[in-house]
Amino acid sequence: MSDSKIQREKVFEDVVRIMAETLEISPEEISADLSFNSDLPFDSLQLYEFVIDVEETYNIRLPDEVLDEVKTVSDIVDVIIKLADK
Amino acid sequence: MKSEEEQMSEALVRIFENVVLTEEKSLQAGYFKDLSIAEMHTLTAIGPYDARTMTNTAEDLGITTGTLTVAIDRLVKKGYVHRERDKRDKRIVRISLTHTGKLACRMNSKFHRVLAKHILAGYDEKDRKHLLDLVDEVDRYVEQQLKRYDSSENVRATARQVAKDTTKEKN
Repeated sequence: MSDSKIQREKVFEDVVRIMAETLEISPEEISADLSFNSDLPFDSLQLYEFVIDVEETYNIRLPDEVLDEVKTVSDIVDVIIKLADK
Repeated sequence: MKSEEEQMSEALVRIFENVVLTEEKSLQAGYFKDLSIAEMHTLTAIGPYDARTMTNTAEDLGITTGTLTVAIDRLVKKGYVHRERDKRDKRIVRISLTHTGKLACRMNSKFHRVLAKHILAGYDEKDRKHLLDLVDEVDRYVEQQLKRYDSSENVRATARQVAKDTTKEKN
């Protein structure tokens, strides 16, 4: 398995764990294609709880302008990999 | 009928007061009931990321470090701010937001963004650009007026100068 694939899987696992803790749901209920707007039951406070936890885990910044472009779980994984690489 | 100056002046004051009032009410109705508007603005000045010095934060807020110290004491007690001495230079105090502080700061930024989004939503692209240009000009003008006071050690002298300039403009 390539390094980038391992890294992507690790980030996805972290995202699912943080998301499941924030939303108090089972990690099994979360998949890459789920949409933040229509599938995941985030209210705005929970969304920022999740965002701040991700920022602190990866030491990155996710301002609202970046979050505006994030539609799915897979998108947030892409953004984290991109920003954590810098 | 009201003059243009009256309309403009009343609208400016009303917008300022209503934005602050709405912000205050949204705080009281929301998750951060124990924060005042002034405290929320202090959190915003610190910002959700890097730690800042007391001096820089006080400068940004236009208050003395003494006043900021009192505010920070309260925010530390409430669990919104973390305060520590610089490891190399013990004279420097650095402040940063706790997890809850970051959360409050981000929620407040969202309040402002949503307000702006709704105001702009009523216009097409051309009018939005025009509106933003006009608001920018008003913002720059008011900022200039503020700087006249900032750069002077003697506020009364500046006030006299402003009064003199205004009289000249009228004549």
